Amino acid sequence: MNVDLHGSIGVAGVGQSGPSAADPRSIPEMVLDAVERALGDAVVRWVDIDAVVTASVDLFDGLTASNVAVTEVIGAVMKPETRIAADGLCAAIHAACQLRAGACRTVLVVAHGKASMAPRAAIEAWAVDPIFLQPLGVNFSTIAGLEARLLCDRDPEAVERWGHVVARRRADAAPHGVAAAVAPEDVLAAPVLASPLTQAMEAPPADAAYAVVLRADGDGLPVRWVAAGHDLEAHAPGDRPLSSRPGLRRAFDRACRSAALAPDAPFGLLEPSCRYPHEEDLLRQVLGAACKSAAISPGGGLYAGDAPCAAGLGRLVDAARRLRDEPRLGRALVHGAWGPAGQGQAVAILEAAP
Amino acid sequence: MSERIAVKHTMDLAWRYASGEAMERFCADLSDRRIEALRCGGCGRRYLPPRPFCGNCRLRMTERVPVRDVGTLVAWTVVHTPILDGRTGEPRPAPYGMGLIRLDGADTTLNHYLAEADPARLRVGSRVRAVWRPALRGAMDDILHFEVLS
Repeated sequence: MNVDLHGSIGVAGVGQSGPSAADPRSIPEMVLDAVERALGDAVVRWVDIDAVVTASVDLFDGLTASNVAVTEVIGAVMKPETRIAADGLCAAIHAACQLRAGACRTVLVVAHGKASMAPRAAIEAWAVDPIFLQPLGVNFSTIAGLEARLLCDRDPEAVERWGHVVARRRADAAPHGVAAAVAPEDVLAAPVLASPLTQAMEAPPADAAYAVVLRADGDGLPVRWVAAGHDLEAHAPGDRPLSSRPGLRRAFDRACRSAALAPDAPFGLLEPSCRYPHEEDLLRQVLGAACKSAAISPGGGLYAGDAPCAAGLGRLVDAARRLRDEPRLGRALVHGAWGPAGQGQAVAILEAAP
Repeated sequence: MSERIAVKHTMDLAWRYASGEAMERFCADLSDRRIEALRCGGCGRRYLPPRPFCGNCRLRMTERVPVRDVGTLVAWTVVHTPILDGRTGEPRPAPYGMGLIRLDGADTTLNHYLAEADPARLRVGSRVRAVWRPALRGAMDDILHFEVLS
């Protein structure tokens, strides 16, 4: 295979199945639906796919090494498949590395999550230290409450602003999402989740599968994959400054360096994986001037439905579609996160073809 | 629409987690009301709960340093979702307070329950003190929760 290692990578096609509150189909059925749509969108056949990268987490699927259950429907029989047990955007980053390495010409990226199968909070509680934190009942929403407290303690207007942010995201998501629009005052008046966060402030769990076809030699494609970066912070939330996201900062800086972009180079579109509104504040802290004029989650982002492990690839799908439809947006930043208090952070930079 | 055939499966498995040497020592010390952090020889950071390795400096840690059972509330939340208290096996009634506490002598923060669940009485920066179980047994729940001092 002769692949130009310095040539561009393009987003050849995208597909999705969901989000829905409770998809009655099996995981392979959901995944097949998304994959067929992505292949159709890319106008490629199964035989054109050189390799597949998937993202899933066993506990959410209730199956050990759960990727083996989707081998057929992702076209990976007799093909190399790599599985990432993290956010779906990391699977896309791994696929881009395979393309950059010249190992493949076309890679299919797939992520799925079916939150309706089991209690999300209980499964996520297993992601924190089992010796000290799990016995205390610490889970992702508890930690989010602590983070949000740190931010609103410094900014007395933060909670009211979060009410408006959530109302905006939920209104944008309502036509295609799993939850209805809510007025800002109702967001604030909703039952408390972990103060100062209310239940209405949490992006609703959902079932979804996403698929993306990435291709080397992508110069002729309308959306190009420009660069990416990812990073991990310490596992223990108590070791970290929870009022900032240094891991996101490092991931973003790596992506900018790789793209030869100044850190304040403007983005026209942001597709962040923010399950709670204070996480948007943390993202803005990192991006600063780069996000000043950006459209943020025009489709409502995770408020359309937050599928475990699949959210970041969902953001990539939304961003690629938006850049195709509105190339004037120019450059997009896609964000994925995983682990307690966003321990893992990943970003990818996409550009609309000139 | 619901699934035509939905198979319900309850995973009935039990795991035995090894806590590691540092946590074993930490728990044993609790029976004497003693709290110790591990200090990194590179950055000097004092980790609590103690763990064997500083991820920032990539150094093993062996130096124990004393930590008081009083500290500062760095962040707090009041959780309104009932949980099964893993320490007792009983449901923990909601709402309950949860804090991030920096004990005097440590540099990292500790998650723990707060005796107070009224947001009007909780403040970042408040001084807090551990409330100990009357009969100590060298276990993680020898500290029942933290109470606000002022």
